[in-house]
Amino acid sequence: MRRRYTSVLIILLLLSASSNAGDWAPVTPAGRQWSFPADHRSHPEYKTEWWYLTGQLEAADDPGRRFGYQFTFFRVGLLPERPNLDSLWAAGGLIMGHASITDAANGKHWFSEVLWRDSPLFGGFGGASGAEIATCMGPAGTSAWWSLDAEGDGFRIRMEDRRQEMALELLVTAEKPMVFQGPGGVSRKGENPGAASYYYSFTRMATRGAISSGGASLEVNGASWMDREFFSSELTGSQTGWDWFSIQLEDGRELMLYQLRNSDGTPAFGRGTMIPAQGDPVYLEMSKDWELKATGNWESPETGISYPSGWELIMDDQGGPGTLRLTIAPIIPNQENVSRRSGLAYWEGAVTVHPAGADPGSPPVGRGYAELTGYGENNRPPV
Amino acid sequence: MTAPALQFDAVSKIYPREGGGGRTALKEISLEVAAGSVAAVVGRSGSGKSTLLNLAAGIDLPTGGRVILEGRDLAGLSEKERTLIRRKSVGLIFQFFHLLPHLTVEDNVALPEWIAGQTSTAALPRIRELLERVGLADRSGDPVQQLSGGEMQRVAICRALVRRPRLLLADEPTGSLDDENSRQVMDLLLALAREEGSTLIFVTHSRELAGLADEVRQLKSGVLVPP
Amino acid sequence: MIAYLQRTLASRLKHGRSLTLLAVLGVALGVASVFSIQLLNRNSLAAFSGSVQSLSGDADLSVTGRTPTLPETFYPKVLATAGVSEAWPIYRIDVAVEGHPGLFLEVAGLDLFAAGRLPLVSGDGAGDGNAHGTDALAAFLYRPGWVAVSPALAEEMGWSVGDTVTVSSGSRLADLHIGALVDFRRHTPLAPRKLAVMDIAQAQSLLGRRGELHQVDLKIDKGRDLEEMRRLLTAALGPAVQVLTPEQREQNAAGLLSAFRLNLTALSLISLFVGVFLVYGSVRATLVRRRAEFGLIRSLGGTRSQVLALILGEAGALGLLGAIIGVPLGWLAARLNMGLVSGTLTNIYLLEEIERLRVPADLVVLALLIGVGGALAGALQPSLDMARKDTRTLLSAFTLHQRADRLAPRMAFTALAVGVAALAFYGFYGRTVRWGGFSLGLMILVAFPLLTPLIIRLVCRPIRVRRLGLAYSARNLLLRLGTSSVAVAALGIAVCMLVGVTLLIGSFRATLETWIAGYVRADIYVSTKSWTRAGREAFLTPGLVEELTTLPGVRSSALLRRFPVMSGERKIMLSGISFDLENSDYILPLKSGDSREALRRVRDEDATIITEPLALKTGLGPGDTLTITGPDGEVHFTIAGVSRDYSTESGMAYFSMQTVDRFFGPGQVNSVGLYLKKGLAPDEAADGLRARYEQLPLEVRSSRDIRDGVLQLFDQTFAVTRLLQVMALLTAACGIALSLLVQARERISELALYRCLGAGRGQIFRLFLGEGLAAGLLGTLLGAAGGVLLALILIYVINPAYFGWTIQPHWPWPALLRQAAGIMAAALAASVYPALRGSRTPARELSREDL
Repeated sequence: MRRRYTSVLIILLLLSASSNAGDWAPVTPAGRQWSFPADHRSHPEYKTEWWYLTGQLEAADDPGRRFGYQFTFFRVGLLPERPNLDSLWAAGGLIMGHASITDAANGKHWFSEVLWRDSPLFGGFGGASGAEIATCMGPAGTSAWWSLDAEGDGFRIRMEDRRQEMALELLVTAEKPMVFQGPGGVSRKGENPGAASYYYSFTRMATRGAISSGGASLEVNGASWMDREFFSSELTGSQTGWDWFSIQLEDGRELMLYQLRNSDGTPAFGRGTMIPAQGDPVYLEMSKDWELKATGNWESPETGISYPSGWELIMDDQGGPGTLRLTIAPIIPNQENVSRRSGLAYWEGAVTVHPAGADPGSPPVGRGYAELTGYGENNRPPV
Repeated sequence: MTAPALQFDAVSKIYPREGGGGRTALKEISLEVAAGSVAAVVGRSGSGKSTLLNLAAGIDLPTGGRVILEGRDLAGLSEKERTLIRRKSVGLIFQFFHLLPHLTVEDNVALPEWIAGQTSTAALPRIRELLERVGLADRSGDPVQQLSGGEMQRVAICRALVRRPRLLLADEPTGSLDDENSRQVMDLLLALAREEGSTLIFVTHSRELAGLADEVRQLKSGVLVPP
Repeated sequence: MIAYLQRTLASRLKHGRSLTLLAVLGVALGVASVFSIQLLNRNSLAAFSGSVQSLSGDADLSVTGRTPTLPETFYPKVLATAGVSEAWPIYRIDVAVEGHPGLFLEVAGLDLFAAGRLPLVSGDGAGDGNAHGTDALAAFLYRPGWVAVSPALAEEMGWSVGDTVTVSSGSRLADLHIGALVDFRRHTPLAPRKLAVMDIAQAQSLLGRRGELHQVDLKIDKGRDLEEMRRLLTAALGPAVQVLTPEQREQNAAGLLSAFRLNLTALSLISLFVGVFLVYGSVRATLVRRRAEFGLIRSLGGTRSQVLALILGEAGALGLLGAIIGVPLGWLAARLNMGLVSGTLTNIYLLEEIERLRVPADLVVLALLIGVGGALAGALQPSLDMARKDTRTLLSAFTLHQRADRLAPRMAFTALAVGVAALAFYGFYGRTVRWGGFSLGLMILVAFPLLTPLIIRLVCRPIRVRRLGLAYSARNLLLRLGTSSVAVAALGIAVCMLVGVTLLIGSFRATLETWIAGYVRADIYVSTKSWTRAGREAFLTPGLVEELTTLPGVRSSALLRRFPVMSGERKIMLSGISFDLENSDYILPLKSGDSREALRRVRDEDATIITEPLALKTGLGPGDTLTITGPDGEVHFTIAGVSRDYSTESGMAYFSMQTVDRFFGPGQVNSVGLYLKKGLAPDEAADGLRARYEQLPLEVRSSRDIRDGVLQLFDQTFAVTRLLQVMALLTAACGIALSLLVQARERISELALYRCLGAGRGQIFRLFLGEGLAAGLLGTLLGAAGGVLLALILIYVINPAYFGWTIQPHWPWPALLRQAAGIMAAALAASVYPALRGSRTPARELSREDL
């Protein structure tokens, strides 16, 4: 019951805080003056911002042993300016961290989270220079802090949760250049031009480091995908959530797709990006360029929420011959993140990609991550 | 002829009973006792002797008739006036002596004086005189519990006489004594009454003792009959 | 036998009405005393528990500083400790509501983002707030002064959401904005009514201090051992903080109050004792009259134990009846005195005030048991006595009174033995057992009743009776020694308590007055409204202090900063003083030694002057070392002197302000004493200051105001004892009435004889009044003697053990004489009804029996 109260409180908070949205900087259709690496750091003038890393890893000494991971820092703006109070607890927003590890071999999924005031007491988003991009105290009972630092051309992430004996320490380095997810880095989220975010990604990053999930630390290698998004708007109208996919194909291409859903479950708005092995990205529109069909369902034993599980993707094979037909399947069904701090549950999991009709046991033609939000009751994401 | 010390004029006494009616203790009794005389009332127990004495002392009031003590009808007086008449003019002697066990012989005799507001000191000569008279002068400081029955009644007689009452009322004064003591006490009582000039009325069941009186009345079921 | 008991009980109640009524009343008063005091005791703790539970009810452990606050950096440290599953910070402060003198809000600054973890502001509460718009919830962050209060408080004060309430904390004023109404009691039934919840950032910024917390509460992982976690956290967090379970914190509060509670309990037990005495007297009296009845029962085949059961059964029923009356009576008494006790709690023990009087069921059961038990105890001796007699003795005439007379020397000897035993016990254990002193007090209570028959005999026997006056009445006490000694002893105990406590309080007050005269040397004291009440954190801003001390008429000044610290496991008050040794006559009256020299060492050598209670409790003296836990661990100070000090029972240590700043960190001043230039009148100057700082929540008091205030507080603290004194006295008056009523019945023949001999009603009436007066006089004299002894024990034995103050004996003659007159009046009043009864005895009641 406690969790339920928390969720109500936080949702109300976040929703109500947004009534001040007028004071936040808007995302303009014309885009912005980008500046890197400065734009890898936080943009406090926007209400919401995240650094989103997902990837698939294999044990260094046992390549057959595969893992998925997610590591995210959210900046949740509550007030455009820090309240003028003589207290370190006075904060204009929150820092939230989510991390998960999926162990394909034993079918287990770990999730850990932190939520603190954006205050020097607990962490925050680093300044304009220095290695630190975001950092905060770990969950209760854990002395180590979570962090995202710039390191060389890439980033280093660290997280630990002592209670769950779960930890990530990974160095991710870009193997392909940064990509804008939409013209000028503006990613539309609805028909209304204001409903948009600034969105760019590193779609293929070499990954090295160590993870532990319920036990000893394990050396790993693999590939990651990093999304960066910041904006001030929220889901519009009847939109209740989204399905989002990032896929790295064996042929060197990457695919990003998202579709926002209406409350009745039908797709309302969707966009995508196809990044060729070399050259400029191609921007795609849902229905026109691609279509996604769920082929199965999975019901969470913990929350009782029913998520789609397994899809069929039909799309115009941009730069390729004819139509691309792919089946997307989770590496294990249960990759649900139940966030007690925010009171929200969503599905964020590693997937494999096969050509339609291929033997699911055969080597996949691609790997990636899927994110399913807004399923179940009272689970509409606050952004 | 001098006025009688006590006069009963058609006196009746009916004790009310629960549930109505009443028990008649005395029935239209008329009686005069001359001042200075000794009168005896004889009767069996339950004949109304004690009621008669209570009425005479103003302790109780008649339901009919008049009780005239020293020329005043007791029925017409308040409780307080009757108490004051009793204090001034009546001496009472009881069958069971009714001495206060915690007081000495002397203090028991002094009690009526105390009640009358006098101190022992003022009354001391009189007390000594009386005790001497009854032969108990040497016992005056003793607790009364140490006395014999006869001695106790003699102390009680002193107590009754200490304020020189005009009327002495004695209720079976020898009822608790053996024959020899009875005779001695009775003689003493009569002698003292005469010496002090008090009228004495005593009730007894003994015809022999009654014979010592100047006049004898007999009570039978609440009615006076000739002896 | 039960059937017999039922019948006789009913007829007893009908015929022995007044006698039974008095015994029942005696039990009722005794039970009421004990019940009311226990009720107040329990509720005073409940007030603290309620506050603990409402904020920490969900917590496994609480981390608090050894100084009042702890740096907020401890919060992340707690969170980082393995095994901690949740932790939340609390900033607590009491603020005075401007425009409502005496109204304080207990502000709890919480992390409202984590509010779901607190029992206080859970989702339901949020729902309440939501009723006024979703804005209300985000507003707590940015709208200055946002607070949530309970709907009950809002209704009482006429506040509604959106209103602004001005409050003060120290010399700072802040506007609170009623942002939401949350029924805290729905989640925590014991939550204080005056609770106000706000975001911790707001609490620190508007009312308190940046960087400080009062408490961090935490939950531990399931499966972890609580005690082990406590040790782990204690080790991890260092000596500057203590880690306690909520239960341990409640125990600490209970410990703090133990002396206060114990004293009240002891006093209330005296009332009960007097009540039990009454039952004893009444049972004895009825048994004497019913001797033949029991003889008959025995002759019809009733056993001894049946007789015993019969008598005890009646006594038990009587006790139950008394208790049933006593419980509501006690509740009423507690209700009437709640404010006083509550004031003591907040003023002296810095605990929460009692807001509601709750009646725990177990206390009611206890009160009923006490009533029945007390009645049985009172009836035991006479009923055993009665049951022991054989049938023949019961049926034949005998005089119990002679027995009492004969027993008097033996009882006196027992009293002597009790006295010797108590003295011996105290001699052996008095120093080691804290309550050793109470054994001496108990001795007086036991020995005095036992001595009473002999004393009555010794006093009354030589009386020469020369007339029907007071002497005659006094002699009569001897006649029914058994009954009269019970009445005299009961009154004696009540008077003993009355005199003892009056002497103690009078002496204490006189000592206090002398002390204030020496201690309160400055002409004007400036502090804040919230400080004078709570003594917690209420500061004068540095600018204001500067301004005050440099006002034109001010010759010199003394500053005071005071906060609680831990010395070992003992919580003591620490006072930092800055003073001008040369130009002011600032002085701390020392028990011995040169005050000025000691103050010089305090100023120049980081030495400390400790107060007398602290010296007594720790055994420390001049030259010894006082160890205090500071923010960085233990610090040691040389003791330069021991001062007479009556400001706090918990003990206090005086330091120079510089020493305090250096070892405990800089902080703000709580109070400023101003010495005026010659020729300035303190009262006028105080008025001037009040006018000048009208806009600020300052408390400006002249030395006379302080003196009056302290004495007022003193009187308030002890006012509750007056309740007990009155109860005991009422019970004792019942005893006199009882004894005389018994006489009016037993002496019917004697009274009738007086009437026969010409005694008027008035004479008999006066005879009874005389006996009441004689009993009253004897009881008063006996009680006064015992009371003086009791006072000496209280002052020289119990007080040092529990409080540790020097009290100079002082005889408050006017009060004592007033009380004596009161007792006499009560004794006379108690005699009126029995005297009326006795005087109505008709002359014809002269029975044929012996007198």
